[in-house]
Amino acid sequence: MSHLLVDAQQRRIDAVVVGRGKKAQLVDWAQLSGFGPDAVMVVDEGVLRPPADDRERAAAEGKLELVGKRALSEGGNELGELDDVTFDADSGVLEELLIGVRRVPAGSLLGSGSYAAILDQSQEPSP
Amino acid sequence: MGVVGWLILVVIVVAVAVVAFLAIRRRRRGGGVIATKDKR
Amino acid sequence: MRLLMTATQIRGLPVVTVRGGEDVAEVRDVIYSPGAGRLVGLTLNKRGFFAGRSRDVLSAEAIHAVGQHAVMVLDESSIVTPEDASDEVGHPATERNVLGDDVLTEGGSSLGKVADLVLLVGSSGEVVGYQIDKAGGGRGYIPLPAQLSVSGDALVVPNITEEFVQDDLVGLGASVDEFRARLGLS
Repeated sequence: MSHLLVDAQQRRIDAVVVGRGKKAQLVDWAQLSGFGPDAVMVVDEGVLRPPADDRERAAAEGKLELVGKRALSEGGNELGELDDVTFDADSGVLEELLIGVRRVPAGSLLGSGSYAAILDQSQEPSP
Repeated sequence: MGVVGWLILVVIVVAVAVVAFLAIRRRRRGGGVIATKDKR
Repeated sequence: MRLLMTATQIRGLPVVTVRGGEDVAEVRDVIYSPGAGRLVGLTLNKRGFFAGRSRDVLSAEAIHAVGQHAVMVLDESSIVTPEDASDEVGHPATERNVLGDDVLTEGGSSLGKVADLVLLVGSSGEVVGYQIDKAGGGRGYIPLPAQLSVSGDALVVPNITEEFVQDDLVGLGASVDEFRARLGLS
């Protein structure tokens, strides 16, 4: 597994990217039968599919990966780097974001893309 | 000219090209602080 | 979060969409209204080292927030073609770039040259004053409304502005109310 494709508005994992480069394929979260620290389990290879649109292609190239993404507040101020993300392994719903030493509820995530993950004003740094 | 002479020439040409590129880029992209014409 | 920024700090900032997390453009010109004392709009450049100007513009109403590291918009539709923006933003009067303009009092004294514009940003853009390179050397700040007119390469300001040249931004913030009271504006 190389990357996760996250729906920032819904705050959940949409799909998992398997493989790299031209061979990258996606598996929708709903099609996974198991998710562990070293591998993901699928029922059969038929659930693997090539990227279907620009967003999925960008995800396959790692451009949308949340971990390591610049964290930017909706006020336009940088908060640090998104070091880690926790989520519910069954539902794929995001739980917490780790920025430096701060744990931020995933509900603060307003949007995410190739440039930054945008966090709402509850995360605004104090002047 | 010897090899050294040519090398120096290349370096100078590259330097001039870089400076020219940066200058043109700055002029095309350079911005200002513009006051609107107010009708009061 | 409201903070003081200068126009030259805002220039070059990326324009980032809140929903998309994409840097869709970067700031080129900062357009402000001296009379209303606020930011009116921004013209844009494309992102990338080799990229040039963008035709598109951003009106102040469409700005979600301005911060230290980015100008935020809700999504790409906030950025429009010049035809869809007001004339001031779509076709800015580039000859009215105030940077480097002489700052002259009505009485004819030169206070210095305009080095920058000082704005209070956050979710709105209020112009607080100008940063000047003083005639005698060094940096100073003068409050807005500071001028009677912008013409040619000069900013003409009321005579009493000369008494209100501040050494730092803190002084600038503190002097604005008194300055306006003296001008009979508040």
